[in-house]
Amino acid sequence: MQVGFIGFGAMGGPMAEHLLRAGHALSVWSRRPESAAALVEQGAVRQASPAAVARHAGIVFTNVTGSADVEQLAFGAEGLAAGFVPGSLHVDFSTIAPAAARRIAERYAKQGVDFVDAPVSGGSGGAQNATLAIMWGGKAELAPRLRPLFDVLGKTIVHAGEAGAGQVAKACNQMVMVAAIEATAEAARLAAASGVDFSKVRAAMLGGSAGSRVLEVFGGRMALRDFAPGVEARLHHKDYALLMDEATRIGAALPVSAAVWQQLNALMGQGRGNNDSASLLRVLEACDGKGQAG
Amino acid sequence: MQVGFIGLGLMGRPMALHLEKAGHTLHLWARRPQSLAPFAAVNATTHATPAEVAKHAEAVIVMVADAPDVEAVCLGEQGLATGAAPGLIVADMSTIAPDAARRIGMRLAERGIEFVDAPVSGGESGAINAALTIMAGGKPEVFEKLRPLFEKMGKSATLIGGSGAGQVAKACNQILTGVGVMAVAEAFNFARKSGVDPARVREALLGGFAYSKILENHGQRMLDRNFNPGFKAWMHQKDLRIVMEEAHRLGLMLPSAAATAQVFNAMVGCGMGENDSVAALKLLEKMSGPE
Repeated sequence: MQVGFIGFGAMGGPMAEHLLRAGHALSVWSRRPESAAALVEQGAVRQASPAAVARHAGIVFTNVTGSADVEQLAFGAEGLAAGFVPGSLHVDFSTIAPAAARRIAERYAKQGVDFVDAPVSGGSGGAQNATLAIMWGGKAELAPRLRPLFDVLGKTIVHAGEAGAGQVAKACNQMVMVAAIEATAEAARLAAASGVDFSKVRAAMLGGSAGSRVLEVFGGRMALRDFAPGVEARLHHKDYALLMDEATRIGAALPVSAAVWQQLNALMGQGRGNNDSASLLRVLEACDGKGQAG
Repeated sequence: MQVGFIGLGLMGRPMALHLEKAGHTLHLWARRPQSLAPFAAVNATTHATPAEVAKHAEAVIVMVADAPDVEAVCLGEQGLATGAAPGLIVADMSTIAPDAARRIGMRLAERGIEFVDAPVSGGESGAINAALTIMAGGKPEVFEKLRPLFEKMGKSATLIGGSGAGQVAKACNQILTGVGVMAVAEAFNFARKSGVDPARVREALLGGFAYSKILENHGQRMLDRNFNPGFKAWMHQKDLRIVMEEAHRLGLMLPSAAATAQVFNAMVGCGMGENDSVAALKLLEKMSGPE
């Protein structure tokens, strides 16, 4: 199948490779030519603009940073919209505001183009091993077109609902995940402050009702004091701005998320945005002045 | 002085009328023509666009809802900037993000237009009684030119610092008032649930270190079950959104403001947005059950 792909970061790069290896003809474009060099070497065809990608492929995937980037790719000069024909499909893997996703879908609909918001969870490891969770929002009848392609990239594929629903699911994912990281950090802090070895506490908890992926992965990093990313905390911080803004817009109270957001703010203020989110432990240590060095 | 005024809502209307009463000539534009009705009998000229207002005025006051509105009025098509001669002074008295104020100020400066952010505290009654507190950010010499206008609308006008500093002061004001209202509501709910009369508690506390205007005024309204605005909960929610977005941008931890903002979210979500902020008490009571 003719497939387009734009956005080759830590996530997009391996995802595009999986599509190529599955036998799809890949059209690519990147702002900086070197970003797509590895894929071009493997047989992807470089195009001169997003519009050209859209003219060569009936379905185009994007994976960029923020709402503004997606809108620029879609509707900027020589953007995807300029190359799409009615029936074309834009699938965006970026994490953006649900309202932005809905706005983009509405604008595309005027030219008969479909838009699917399909944010992913699972990190760069999940992208490399094709084990991502993909939560998508858009028309249900698009599922047969999407399913074979998604299956190449991830192992949990869920249609969350109409346009924007994928982003709502992703916001929920981030809330639950980072709140769990904060809870894990607080447990680690309590254990250490009580003179108890957190790695033993963690081992015990993993076998009980408090067991979770976060306790396993992020708790493990905290126990080892390994704060290299993993997931850069600044990305979680960015996601919190989106979801807290959405909560304000719809009038939803998210008291725990609001508290977690402030811990992330403190983390950023302390200059740890490029560290792993396990660094939420160090925010707590800085707070009560009994922290370990580093 | 030839004074432009854009934004003739609950706050803007009485503020503009004070300026007219003081002898200034008003130049007006309004998105909705009915906003201009109260000015039919006074010394005011209405114009077709903000650009036209700018052409006729030495200073323009803007009093609208949020940053996108201020941007549209100042920098949009037929905005103030397209009609202004260099040297025009724009004073934005809306509450918007400090960052947005600085950005708008810079864009206007490129065209030789002076910009001062001058948000107010004191609510509708403060506007009607010309008793507003005005906190400004901008150049001292521009602030001094505006001072005679500010003095007709408020009881105090303070230059806090450079561009955006007025909005920073307003954000601080909203942290204190938002968290303050919540603290009083929580204290009254605590007393009620403990079987103690909140009115007696308030009376006692007013004499001690917990004294505040909020305990006195907002507290009394809570006791009176008077939830009419005042200052509407949805507006306080909007102001706290600005505070929290700014905290996010700065990498700044605001735990109490963050918790308070969630209660305001809940108030708006359950249809209490048009109530005064003191209706936070009703929400706490509902969540905590009977005595």
